[in-house]
Amino acid sequence: MPVAASAIYFLNLRGDVLINRMYRDDVGGNMVDAFRTHIMQTKDLGTCPVRQMGSCSFLYMRISNVYIVIVVSSNANAACAFKFIVEAVALFRSYFGGSFDEDSIRNNFVLIYELLDEIMDFGYPQNLSPEILKLYITQVGVRSPFSQVKDARPPANATLQVTGAVGWRREGLVYKKNEVFLDIVESVNLLMSQKGNVLRCDVTGKILMKCFLSGMPELKLGLNDKLGLEKEAQVRARPPRSGKTIELDDVTFHQCVNLGRFNTEKTVSFVPPDGEFELMKYRITEGINFPFRVIPIIKELGRTRMEVNIKVKSVFGAKMFALGVVVKIPVPKHTAKTTFQVSSGRAKYNASIDSLVWKIRRFPGQTELSMSAEVELISSIAEKKTWSRPPIQMEFQVPMFTASGLRVRFLKVWEKSGYSTVEWVRYITRAGTYEVRC
Amino acid sequence: MNVDNRRGELGELKSQLRQLAGSRAPGAEDLKRELFKKVTSYMTVGIDVSALFSEMIMCASNADIVLKKMCYLYLGNYAATNPELALLTINFLQKDCQDENPMIRGLALRSLCSLRVPNLVEYFTGPIKQGLKDANPYVRSVAAMGVLKLHHISPASVKDNEFQKTLKVLVIQDPDAQILYMGRVRSRDRTLGTASATAKRMKEFSEWAQCLVLELVSKYVPAHANETFDIMNVLEDRLVHANSAVVLATCKVFLHLTMSMADVHQQVYERIKSPLVTLITTGTSELAYAVLSHLHMLILRSPTLFVSDYKFFYCRYSDPSYVKKLKLEILTAIANESNTYEIVTELSEYATNVDVPIARESIRAVGRIALRRYDINGIVDRLLQFLEMDTDYVTAETLVRLEMLTACIKLFFKRPPQCQSMLGAALKAGIHDSHQDVHDRALLYYRLLQEGVGLAEKVINPKKQAVADFAESQSSEIKDRIFDEFNTLAVVYQKPSYMFLNKELVGNTESESLMGERELSSPSAHDGFLHQSEFSDNDMLLSASEKEDTRLISTGNGADAYSAPEISILDVAPAVSSSLLLEAPATVASQPKPAGTHQREMPLLPEFETPVPSSRQATPPLASQAVPMDDLFSGLSVPDTAAAAPAPPPQQLVLAPRPSLDAKAFQQKWGQLSVALTVEEKLAPTGIMKLATPQPLNVHMIDRHIFCMASGGKPPNFKYFFYAQSQPNFLDPSAQAGFFLVELHVDTARAMASGKIKADDVSLAPAFAELFRVALARFGLL
Repeated sequence: MPVAASAIYFLNLRGDVLINRMYRDDVGGNMVDAFRTHIMQTKDLGTCPVRQMGSCSFLYMRISNVYIVIVVSSNANAACAFKFIVEAVALFRSYFGGSFDEDSIRNNFVLIYELLDEIMDFGYPQNLSPEILKLYITQVGVRSPFSQVKDARPPANATLQVTGAVGWRREGLVYKKNEVFLDIVESVNLLMSQKGNVLRCDVTGKILMKCFLSGMPELKLGLNDKLGLEKEAQVRARPPRSGKTIELDDVTFHQCVNLGRFNTEKTVSFVPPDGEFELMKYRITEGINFPFRVIPIIKELGRTRMEVNIKVKSVFGAKMFALGVVVKIPVPKHTAKTTFQVSSGRAKYNASIDSLVWKIRRFPGQTELSMSAEVELISSIAEKKTWSRPPIQMEFQVPMFTASGLRVRFLKVWEKSGYSTVEWVRYITRAGTYEVRC
Repeated sequence: MNVDNRRGELGELKSQLRQLAGSRAPGAEDLKRELFKKVTSYMTVGIDVSALFSEMIMCASNADIVLKKMCYLYLGNYAATNPELALLTINFLQKDCQDENPMIRGLALRSLCSLRVPNLVEYFTGPIKQGLKDANPYVRSVAAMGVLKLHHISPASVKDNEFQKTLKVLVIQDPDAQILYMGRVRSRDRTLGTASATAKRMKEFSEWAQCLVLELVSKYVPAHANETFDIMNVLEDRLVHANSAVVLATCKVFLHLTMSMADVHQQVYERIKSPLVTLITTGTSELAYAVLSHLHMLILRSPTLFVSDYKFFYCRYSDPSYVKKLKLEILTAIANESNTYEIVTELSEYATNVDVPIARESIRAVGRIALRRYDINGIVDRLLQFLEMDTDYVTAETLVRLEMLTACIKLFFKRPPQCQSMLGAALKAGIHDSHQDVHDRALLYYRLLQEGVGLAEKVINPKKQAVADFAESQSSEIKDRIFDEFNTLAVVYQKPSYMFLNKELVGNTESESLMGERELSSPSAHDGFLHQSEFSDNDMLLSASEKEDTRLISTGNGADAYSAPEISILDVAPAVSSSLLLEAPATVASQPKPAGTHQREMPLLPEFETPVPSSRQATPPLASQAVPMDDLFSGLSVPDTAAAAPAPPPQQLVLAPRPSLDAKAFQQKWGQLSVALTVEEKLAPTGIMKLATPQPLNVHMIDRHIFCMASGGKPPNFKYFFYAQSQPNFLDPSAQAGFFLVELHVDTARAMASGKIKADDVSLAPAFAELFRVALARFGLL
């Protein structure tokens, strides 16, 4: 039972209806009012994404300044509903040129209605793959004038497309230059105690691809993950190569990946969709090299002063460097005055997030930088309420570095016409929720 | 004035549209589009533009597909509210259904079927019939969906037009097997097909259709264990699918398929653990919330599952509070000897680190963990250390202080000697606190304690409250029901669907649910087909469906609004159900109808009154050796299965809801009567987990009208005395309502349970033993 949504609403933050689409007649048209008065205008808004009211349930998500609300009257599948919203938003973004907010919805409402018509029928999710939908949809995003739209392609072809064996790729694509771009993007999630003990550390990674390939190519990707390497060694009857192997805790693949072959041969083989897509996601908990260590010393001197000393050490290779490093050190609300000393970068007090923000544009590997600050606090009645000391948070990007050590061993492309392809591989590690308690 | 303005605008729109309708001037199309856009935007904002109805249709009648789409949207919106206008459109849409462009044919048919106007049904059937025969697959798939919609409005017309049969033929003959809805229709014979066929076909479906199909598979009862494994093997790759909905649906299949195999079931838990954790860490927080709800339920069922992986549930600072709250609950649930220290330490971090409700929640969680494990000294000691260590911050935050005081005093009631000094310190600090609330509460506790510890305990820590939060206290029957509804809102709300779904609504869709029910019953009825090859399978089905059509009517009105399983199946997919209509097998198991009143009181009762499916009948119900577990479960664990079993109940023993027997009479009887039966059973590990305290089992048994006279013992040995009384027989009022007495001895170390049953009427003893055993199995003991 995927969703069986009775209706979908798009609302702005004030509660105005931007889009409404009814799929079934088992909920009244006034449900949106109920949502407005009982959920949006109360404090409960952020408390739970699934709310029950009478016989109906509301499943809602906020995306930028828009609420998307699915109303169901049956015992629906919540996970599926949220997944549907996420996918639908991704689809809309692909039409609107990346943005999804109140303005882009207002500018594209006809298109949205048209899309909603195709991606869900009678409350059941249908094909949400942008490539295929482009064959059905007569509207284009607001980027080009409305009148230029022509459904140039013969629709008969379109219908065959959907039912074809490879639902995510059109036939007959031709590129002058055949290129594949592959990005491994990892997010490090770290929770460190005050004393420097790692409480939790994991990496969630994704492999993003951009394919500009002619015809119906078949791709095969080899990684230095343990299972794949062991299987290969088994097949070729030779000992596994030395070097680091990575144990993937869990993997999920784009629907184009041949899962049967992954299970038997442990290789990732697929016929890719055209353009950009997320090939796979993975999660790793063992053997992670987290790129930064943070050593905070925060002293509260009396009631009106605080001393903050932060040392940040980069523990990746000396030849690499991190970009856009930001360290946010929370301070109490009633901070009055701050003075800083930094060994590199810039630091300032940002009152809107109640934090000291230290920015380092370029942070080389194997170096230690420090920042010290003196914070003066206003003494007031509010101070009585103790300050809860939220954790220090970090943002960064380290190009050509993977916290898990995952590497691409090969990426092969086969196509019956036998053209040659150019493959590009990049690695980048970003901060997920990188938190150090202080 | 505003209204006038709008009216003026509408009038203007109307005249403009009228002008354009017949115009062939260059640029007229573009103008029309602009106007249609305007109308659509008015409609969205909520302005009634139904006055433009005829103009819209006029304009759209010769238009291109862009205009038609907008027009269809318009029609869909106003047809339901203005049925008289809808009549106008029927012609228009019917004409479009003949269009040479298959896109327009499809769209028109879809809009037609979406009009949702009951009295127009007669107009739909023709186009649907045509659509099903259309040369274009797009139109065919729309038509298949149309059948479903039609069924929603008027099931009778679906039947009258024999759409099931047409669809069925289409399914088998259609060369284009990949059409989505065809695929869904096929899912029925998929369920009957061999496991390898399952795998092959699964890939033909789109990811969303896979969810539907998986949902169906989860209702399927394999003929034997090998088949279960086959299905699981071929579906295993679905667990690494990128679509989280597919992953969850697969989990459901695995869990439900292995219900009868305790050890495999446990392995399944281990297998699905990792994918679920990934969904939490990588998805949006809303998705994480949905998945966490499921994990929470799984953990309640199998608390040992995450004992070493508790760190996955540590809160992130940026998690929204609803996620944090669930994580706290989960942490509380998985705390045991090995990880309590770490978990409590982590919880204490939250007590200071995050927003106030969560801080309170986490202190409460610490309290719950402490209460639950009070029998283990070491943990209490460590807990005390933690509490003492934190004494100074306890005095820091009012809410926390209040909670801390309560936690202290509750601890004191549990472990007076260890906690006395700490409580003293806490009360002292509390009384000297500058905050009025804390001061007052500390003083209150102090004075209560002066009155006497027992009295204080009664006031502060009444028995009921202390147990109220226990995971086990939620009736396991309800928990099972929720588990059956895995991957639905039931899990999120933590209550079975019949508790939150509108009863009337359920009534409306009753017929749909009936079909779902038929689906359920079919696999077992069709076991014989399983060994057929796939092709003959189809043939069989075809003939089956024809016979079946005649039977369809007779099964009506059995559905009770309260019986949740049906509701859940209804939602499996009406899309599927439309297909099921035609494919449902020739032998429809007639559902045994239990007495209506009982049904209402206890939704799950039917199984207990009509337990024994044929496989179990073969086993002597009270053999002293252990009954093969699979057999026992195949009939019991999944209520659906029980419903599917056509076997008539072997005896009618109904227990009285409120027997009257006091302790003295019990003893007297126990002395008088001789042992009628002895039972010995092996225990399942899941059940043992729940036996840390006697209450859960007692509560559970009361739900089944078996009452506990006394219970006691220390791990690993527990002893229970139960009693029950048979319901006076309506047909034969003279018959004596006899009592049943049970002495149950549970040895958790050897994982054995042995019981002695005594009865006033010895002839009824085997029947009662059966009920008793079923009740234990329900609790998870067997």
